[in-house]
Amino acid sequence: MTTILPQCDIPIPQRQPHIVCHEPGNMILPMCNVQTVPGDMTERGCTFAGCRGVVGGPVKDVIQLVHGPIGCAYYTWGTRRNLSDMKLHRKYCFSTDLTEESVIYGGAKKLYNSIIESHDLFPEAKAVFVYSTCVVGLIGDDTEAVCKQAQEKIGIPVVPFHCEGFRGVSQSLGHHIANRTLFEKVVGTCEPDKTTPYDMCIIGEFNIDGDAWIVKPLFERMGARVLSVFTGNASYSDLPPMHRTKLNIVQCQRSSTYIAKMIQDKYNIPYINVSLFGMSQTAQALRDVGKFFHLEENTEKVIAEELAKYQPNIDHYRKRLEGKKCFIYQGAPRAWHWIEPMRELGIETVLTATTFGHKDDYEKIMARAQPGHICIDNPNALEIEEYLVKLKPDFFIGGLKEKYLTYKLGIPFINGHSYEEGPYAGFEGFVNFAKDIDVAVNSPVWKFINQPLEVS
Amino acid sequence: MTRSVTINPPKMCQPMGAILAYMGVHGCVPLVHGSQGCSTYPRYNIARHFRESAEVAVSSLSEDAAVFGGAQNLTEAIKNIKSRLSPEAIGICTTCMSETIGDDVKLISKKALQDESTKIFPASTPSYVGTHLTGYDNALRTLVETLAVNGEPNNKINIITGVINPGDIRELKNMLRLMNVQSIFLSDISETLDSPILPGGHKPLLPEGGTKLVDIADSANSLGTIAICRTAGSAAVYLKNKFNVPAILDPAPIGVANTDMFVQNICLLSGKPIPREIEIERGRLIDSMVDVHHYMFGRKVAIFGDPDIVSAMVRFFAEAGMKPTVAMTATKHKDFAPDIKAVNSEYKTDTQILEGTDLYEFHEVVKTHGAELIVGNSKGKDIADDENIPLVRVGFPVYDRVGVYRYPIIGYNGSIYLLDLMTNAILGHKYDPNKLHQ
Repeated sequence: MTTILPQCDIPIPQRQPHIVCHEPGNMILPMCNVQTVPGDMTERGCTFAGCRGVVGGPVKDVIQLVHGPIGCAYYTWGTRRNLSDMKLHRKYCFSTDLTEESVIYGGAKKLYNSIIESHDLFPEAKAVFVYSTCVVGLIGDDTEAVCKQAQEKIGIPVVPFHCEGFRGVSQSLGHHIANRTLFEKVVGTCEPDKTTPYDMCIIGEFNIDGDAWIVKPLFERMGARVLSVFTGNASYSDLPPMHRTKLNIVQCQRSSTYIAKMIQDKYNIPYINVSLFGMSQTAQALRDVGKFFHLEENTEKVIAEELAKYQPNIDHYRKRLEGKKCFIYQGAPRAWHWIEPMRELGIETVLTATTFGHKDDYEKIMARAQPGHICIDNPNALEIEEYLVKLKPDFFIGGLKEKYLTYKLGIPFINGHSYEEGPYAGFEGFVNFAKDIDVAVNSPVWKFINQPLEVS
Repeated sequence: MTRSVTINPPKMCQPMGAILAYMGVHGCVPLVHGSQGCSTYPRYNIARHFRESAEVAVSSLSEDAAVFGGAQNLTEAIKNIKSRLSPEAIGICTTCMSETIGDDVKLISKKALQDESTKIFPASTPSYVGTHLTGYDNALRTLVETLAVNGEPNNKINIITGVINPGDIRELKNMLRLMNVQSIFLSDISETLDSPILPGGHKPLLPEGGTKLVDIADSANSLGTIAICRTAGSAAVYLKNKFNVPAILDPAPIGVANTDMFVQNICLLSGKPIPREIEIERGRLIDSMVDVHHYMFGRKVAIFGDPDIVSAMVRFFAEAGMKPTVAMTATKHKDFAPDIKAVNSEYKTDTQILEGTDLYEFHEVVKTHGAELIVGNSKGKDIADDENIPLVRVGFPVYDRVGVYRYPIIGYNGSIYLLDLMTNAILGHKYDPNKLHQ
């Protein structure tokens, strides 16, 4: 038996199958992608968050209109650090701000008027994305019909996303809904101006703190042409021609494999999974793409240039970080993306956890984990605290909600969701990542944590 | 505002405010009865403003609840919190979802927990009604309705703070200490959301501090209630109607007149004189206003935020010789416009009143009426950048600067700090450094 019931979970033993200790030869995966135990202090969010916040949100030149009461729009206004080079993107928050009257009589008219008015005020927007929240699903507004009618009136695409927060068990369903909606309603609606034999799309790259601005040029330097990034710093117009790509690479393999698969099934275009974090994984991703396009020589040149420039920095940080132990708790893929890069810095990951991982995410974690590694599905605040206290990692890579709890326990912390001072992807980004870990671990502030004030 | 679409709203939904009210109660776990986003989003906002962990439970409603109701989830959530944490209280906030499907939270929670050792506060806080301030008010009234009981007179004054910062609450406590008046804060986040790192560890769940349940119960026996935030005044009205506790609802004590009124009200209720120390603090505020009046006279200031804070700041800025050009609040309140109009007539200012609107409209009016300075939360940054003027960050949330929650803008001392912040912003932005040598 390799599942564990932590002390804090004794009253809720249904958490036990979600927590495993890795034993090679007797491998079991944590139970996952099921409903949260009510009241267990989960860190999970909702389907709306996955759709609006993660996949749809980074598209930079569309009106991101949230159909619902004010909170859902407010909380997704410029929060996730999915950067873009367009002001319309993170500067504005559009909401139908539904009130009691709409809940009783329906919000369709308000939605229609809101789409028309937003378009009038921001004619530079290339499309309108309409996200449904819990209450819209419950009162039954026909957002499809309203969006269709509004699209006819304003002449730009109006795309409804049925991402009511209560659907599914976590953010994960929201990713799927966003992928499916964009695939069904946008991809293939127009042809690219031109195509080349070297066209590729980077799927599941959301330009967190500028990641896409680091990784996209790597492929371009190799001689590939990046047709679209799905969806970091993407224009709406980048999405329709995705069906004419020759190859898709998938970075976030939880939120975005869906669209790569759909494009493969309908248009016979292959995709490969990549990990654009750390030196060797990034190099491997470049080589896989180089091999596909027969650009091996160029690829090796780019890798050699990058390593010459950045490997000395990594060697420097490795000397300062060798032998450290860390926890990684992320949405899902970054929990396994970062296990190998940490080893390049001499760091072993002793615990991973994911908020909304599925079976394949946990398989990838286990394929990389050492014996004794603890893996937690959908951890809650008490479990996180118990393991931080029990295993005392040298640092913890988590999200903002865990940050200050970790600080209070005197444990260094890196925000892996939005980053501290990213970008973290690619060769250059990995130097930023290593630097942030060095700053966190080697700051003098920690020596005061347990220092009492006494009369000597 | 004649638009249907809301663009850049400086307001949040009810559960946000309710969670903040519950976080000021000792040993209370906030529980959101709704979808998981309804707890995660407010937690994120609280964490990034206060730079503290904000632990909130959620009943994790899903499709099943949409069909069958959320009773089972809520019952299970209450039992799980009770069995794992044994909190003194669980503060429930409802959401769009639970209100639309029609869960009777009062009844469900009563059935779920017959054990009186954990109190349940069943506040009704649907997001489609009001704003975060409505949620704060509803949760606070629920606290008092659930707990307040008749007893011996306690010689204390209840203070309803509204959504203000730990630094503000500490300053209020400082003033009450100087005046030798005992108080009950409804509620008190000054320690729970600004906690120290002390040797021997930390409790992220059920942290130290917060108003004790016995003190909330005792609020029925106080000399009076002063709400320095009228949007959060319904608990004061309840205590007055039910227990004859006098209620005073005023704007925030910011600036000379409003802080004077607060001090006078404390004296009125407690029968205590104004101590010398308070006179000295007031004198320092006036000294600070005199020191900077050459820099600040006639300065055009645009202000947005919660109504009682904004109207108090408008009065203070007029007192200091500035020209408030725009006063904006997203939360409607009947006293907001009369407050501003009174300042306009007293100080011959022409402050535009924007109520129940958004920052898109605020920006339009700033463009037409001018501003050399914006005072508001972090959401004002883009407007200030576009107009090439400074933003002095106050209110909630402020996530792009550190420490704002630590310092008061309330009371005489807080007003000094606020005025200095504004003056320094003007000096840094407008002045040739050579002109700053005296």
